[in-house]
Amino acid sequence: MSFEPKILGIACNWCTYTGADLAGTTRLKYPQNLRVVRVMCSSRINPSFIFRAFQLGADGVLVGGCHPGDCHYNTGNLYARRRLATTKKILEFAGFEPGRLRVEWISASEGNKFAEVVAEFTAQIRNLGPQAKLKIQE
Amino acid sequence: MTEFKKIEENLKTEATRLLKEGLVTVVLAYGKGFDENHPMPYAAKTIADVENIVFNEYCNYNMARYLVRYPQGTKIAIAVKAADSRAVIQLIQEEKVKRENLVILGIPVQGMKNPKTGEIIDSKTTCGMYNPVLYDLLLGEEVHGAKSASPYDVLAEYEKMDKEARWEFWKKEFDKCIRCYACRKACPMCYCDPCFIDQSKPKWADKAPQSPGNMMYHLTRFHHLAGRCIDCGECSRACPVDIPLYLFHKKVAKECEEMFNQAAGMSIEDKPVLVDFRVEDSDKILE
Repeated sequence: MSFEPKILGIACNWCTYTGADLAGTTRLKYPQNLRVVRVMCSSRINPSFIFRAFQLGADGVLVGGCHPGDCHYNTGNLYARRRLATTKKILEFAGFEPGRLRVEWISASEGNKFAEVVAEFTAQIRNLGPQAKLKIQE
Repeated sequence: MTEFKKIEENLKTEATRLLKEGLVTVVLAYGKGFDENHPMPYAAKTIADVENIVFNEYCNYNMARYLVRYPQGTKIAIAVKAADSRAVIQLIQEEKVKRENLVILGIPVQGMKNPKTGEIIDSKTTCGMYNPVLYDLLLGEEVHGAKSASPYDVLAEYEKMDKEARWEFWKKEFDKCIRCYACRKACPMCYCDPCFIDQSKPKWADKAPQSPGNMMYHLTRFHHLAGRCIDCGECSRACPVDIPLYLFHKKVAKECEEMFNQAAGMSIEDKPVLVDFRVEDSDKILE
């Protein structure tokens, strides 16, 4: 059976999630590998969510937030940017592929960008193959 | 009289004075252990306690660990070495202690020994500083010159490792972990109550000392200490199975310093990097 990546999308309620909605209402096609979880702000994302997602079998994690400066809560995504950058560096030094975590700023009006990013990221994960390093083996 | 003996005498004199004048209610320093080579963290609360204070080359514990155990507002005198003073600064930044409640007794030292091995601690495994950054009183001669090149030099070897090799290396190291949490107990910055690993709702990670749980525990701990770790190296010295935790902490500290231009625990004016932001932070750091 060919490899179908499982991708966790964590999207901010105000921008990326609405952007995903827009992608849907405008009937844009994007791969079905993404499972979206809505959070109120990208700074709600505890890095442990990401580690845990990888442990529970996600092949990639896509985090979406508002563009810096556009955060619904003014500064949330600026904290998230620092935090997630650190997460990436930690994964990298542990020897994990940092490419499996991607952070994108997608606004509510960027349905197109959402579809593009998902397509691109899915292709990228498909290239990387199944994630076996952090996944808990049964 | 050796340098260490002199510091011990100074420590005793100052502790007596501070306690007698009622400036502090407790003096955090080092006390006698079961033998010379194994001193213990010690809290002197009365003038009679002061004579138990010792200081020798094995007194490498980071006493900043014990600051958070006293209620806010307790007047505390604390004996700090170079990295310990940075830990104190970091705790002040995080508003765990107030500067005005502390009397910081700085101790400049060189050539501390690890009580476990009896060897001199390699400055590569610590922050490589000899003089405390912040102190009210300096109890010994300032150490001049002789700072090791950079605390991050030791990383070069691991950074150029192949990714797979690095994964294998860390997996092997973390698989040794017996989850005694000595690293957490020794760390001056690990004061969460309860620690994420002790929570059961949500259950962040498995508690059995096996690969997945160990990985989760250590990676998350590195993340929690990002931009806060002051590189004292106590975690690796406390570790009964000798996991080189300092390497990972150093790497995270290095990345944080590069990305945010601020080292942990250098000034009480700073804010910890991960609870701060700049609008002009670049998106490049996410690549």
